Amino acid sequence: MVDWRLYEPLINFARKRSMWIVSFCTGCGGIEMPPLMTSRYDLERFGMMPNPAPRMADLFLITGYVTPKTLKRIIITYEMQPDPKYVLAHGSCPLNGGIYWDAYNAIKHLDKYIPVDVAIAGCMPRPEAVMDGIKKMMELIETGKADGWKRYKENYEYYKKNQDELFGEGWRERTARRWIPWLMNKRKEIGGGEQ
Amino acid sequence: MNLEKEQIIVETLLQKAPYAEGKVRRERRIEFCIPPDRIRDFLVLLKENNFESMMQITAVDWLKDGEIELVYQMWSYTHAIHAFVKTRIPRDVDKARVPSVRDIYPAAETYERDVHEFYKVTFEGNDKLEMPWILEDEDREAGVSHRKDFDMLGYVKKKYRLLDRFEEDKENYVI
Repeated sequence: MVDWRLYEPLINFARKRSMWIVSFCTGCGGIEMPPLMTSRYDLERFGMMPNPAPRMADLFLITGYVTPKTLKRIIITYEMQPDPKYVLAHGSCPLNGGIYWDAYNAIKHLDKYIPVDVAIAGCMPRPEAVMDGIKKMMELIETGKADGWKRYKENYEYYKKNQDELFGEGWRERTARRWIPWLMNKRKEIGGGEQ
Repeated sequence: MNLEKEQIIVETLLQKAPYAEGKVRRERRIEFCIPPDRIRDFLVLLKENNFESMMQITAVDWLKDGEIELVYQMWSYTHAIHAFVKTRIPRDVDKARVPSVRDIYPAAETYERDVHEFYKVTFEGNDKLEMPWILEDEDREAGVSHRKDFDMLGYVKKKYRLLDRFEEDKENYVI
């Protein structure tokens, strides 16, 4: 029997140098991603790359304000990711609403709904600030302090309560079924229903 | 500034539509005011006179007058002229009705849904008004709208359970 705890420093080092990002951009920070990824700032030298499938991703970048509509998708995507998973929130909007503090369609505190490991201040943070946050994230991963995924498991009742308060009970199924009546009407319109 | 082209177009249109009022605002902008029941006739006329494209339907909420002003913004590729077609309807939810122009300009479907959702104007003849648009179902049930008498800040505080520490003084925001 191998005691895997012995290898934890090595595993953490490997995790820190190979963070794959979910390709999921919200709000205005999405436009800061192209300079980060391309030749000027070149994130790939840290072993990071955007990945279309959340099943293979480690890092979730919340790039800007989050609307309730997006938050539903964010929660589902976050739960699809395998452990360990890390969340990095950009800008002031996920922290406290930012300039959308009085808007009906931007959530005010992201850490009430999913755990956030590193938050970068600024509106909008420049790519340098994002890289600073990523450096911080690497430190936290190496020292084992980036434990948002553990906190999500341990305090799931708290997060679930806040999500249900905002969206109402059974929001996953309701969102999935929302468009069905209209799609059925569409099928009738184009004549698919008669066949 | 030479406004001859605009003048000629306004005069031709007013000749064919005596119920309308119109004027030239500036270069490449003309403006009409129409009674709400004649809006379809006037838009048919505009389409015959080379105003091919509908760019937008905007709504303005005039709280003191008790009216909602709808602005149909039309663009003519032929003349390169932007026409505002303004009409005023009552503000009460059950009286705010106007005929749909979806069959004249197909693009109007989207804009009518937009105005219906945020200003509660009913467009008679558009059967897609109740289709989900931007608002979530719970917002829609709570009656969120951009009308000026809707208490948006109160709704936001209730929805997100914010601490009540905002001064509602427009000159001096304290967060």
